[in-house]
Amino acid sequence: MNFRDIELLSSYLDGQLNLSESARLETRLSSDPNLRAVMDDLRAARSLLRQLPARKAPRNFTLTRKMVGLKPPLPRSYSTFRFATVLAALLLFATFALNGIAPRLTFGAAAPAAPAYGMGGGCDNCNGEFESLEAPATEAPAATEAPAVEPSLDTQSSPTIMPTSTEETARIAETPSAKTGESESAGQDQVPSGGFVPASLQVGLAVFILLSGLTAFLMRQSAKRKWQ
Amino acid sequence: MWLSDKIPPMNEPALIQDAQNGDLDAFNSLVLHYQDMVFNTALRILGDDDLAADAAQEAFISAFRSISTFRGGSFKAWLLRTVTNACYDELRRQKRRPTTALEPETEDGEEMDSPRWLADPNMTPEQKAEADELEHAIQHCLNALPVDFRTVVVMADIQGLDYTDVALAVRVPLGTIKSRLARARLRLRECLQGFWELLPAAFRLHEETHA
Repeated sequence: MNFRDIELLSSYLDGQLNLSESARLETRLSSDPNLRAVMDDLRAARSLLRQLPARKAPRNFTLTRKMVGLKPPLPRSYSTFRFATVLAALLLFATFALNGIAPRLTFGAAAPAAPAYGMGGGCDNCNGEFESLEAPATEAPAATEAPAVEPSLDTQSSPTIMPTSTEETARIAETPSAKTGESESAGQDQVPSGGFVPASLQVGLAVFILLSGLTAFLMRQSAKRKWQ
Repeated sequence: MWLSDKIPPMNEPALIQDAQNGDLDAFNSLVLHYQDMVFNTALRILGDDDLAADAAQEAFISAFRSISTFRGGSFKAWLLRTVTNACYDELRRQKRRPTTALEPETEDGEEMDSPRWLADPNMTPEQKAEADELEHAIQHCLNALPVDFRTVVVMADIQGLDYTDVALAVRVPLGTIKSRLARARLRLRECLQGFWELLPAAFRLHEETHA
């Protein structure tokens, strides 16, 4: 007897053999007691399993909406509030970006006219050091002073540059320094040209974001509560 | 064995269709109908009540999520496929965290949970205890089988699926089902001979040779 026989017997018990296979196996069974014994074994195992008591589920497995990640139906105005919040947040970000980028753009335009000053302003210490070694003596003072972060130093530096630079540079250099003086008192020392987007608009946007975001949040919470 | 499982819920196709359209209440009606069968299957494959409950819950969650893939045929077999997957996931998790013993610690099953199975209320305490022990013995022998064999034998002999549905539920070819089933039955019989004194008289066919 080989495993193929055992497989045949097992299928025979389940009525899975066709007529000719069954007939052949039955003939063998009648003459082979070993085969019969194995079939009895298989049948016994099968019956034992079939008599295993059925156990009841220990609890109900019904699903809640939360379990399957279904979202509660939200009022239509919710999406309006959410959209407005996102839009206002993007706008607020844009105002900061604009205030941050605008002065650099101005510097970039001035750079060809006064390369030493422009580069010195762009990269703090590295270029300052590099240029102080290689730049012509006339430009050296401007390069060493440009990296200074404090606006007060800038205001001092502008007069020293004026004689050595072209007329254009003088004008550009003067404008930020004048503005810096103003904005310093407003607490915005990083933005030399703080006037691109007024702070009041930014504050307004921030307040709007808070209120609109909060409304959307509360709407969702109340929808969730009703849903459950 | 489970009369209620043999008969599908009266409006099963309608419930399935509603569930496919996202109706959770319709799906929950199906859950209530099949939960005993699902839990039992998981219990026999995993051999542990708590793990089986977790796997059953997981199976229903994933069944709801993928019910749109059900294309007719036996819903029971389709559901049992998600149960099989959930059990395999559970076994993989156990392998990674091998602190929980899946198999009984001792041969007499003392480490196993006390069964809360549907006992015949007319049984005497002795009969109940015996049946209890027999159930433990069978579960012990099931646990000793490789999981692929165990799954096939649970589907065919405990859930009563026919070969085609077992092949569908386990996703292996029909020929493999036949050979796994034969091997599993043979091994179970050998293992159960070790508990021959627990077996009902009709099953002690060769007790002289095995005792």
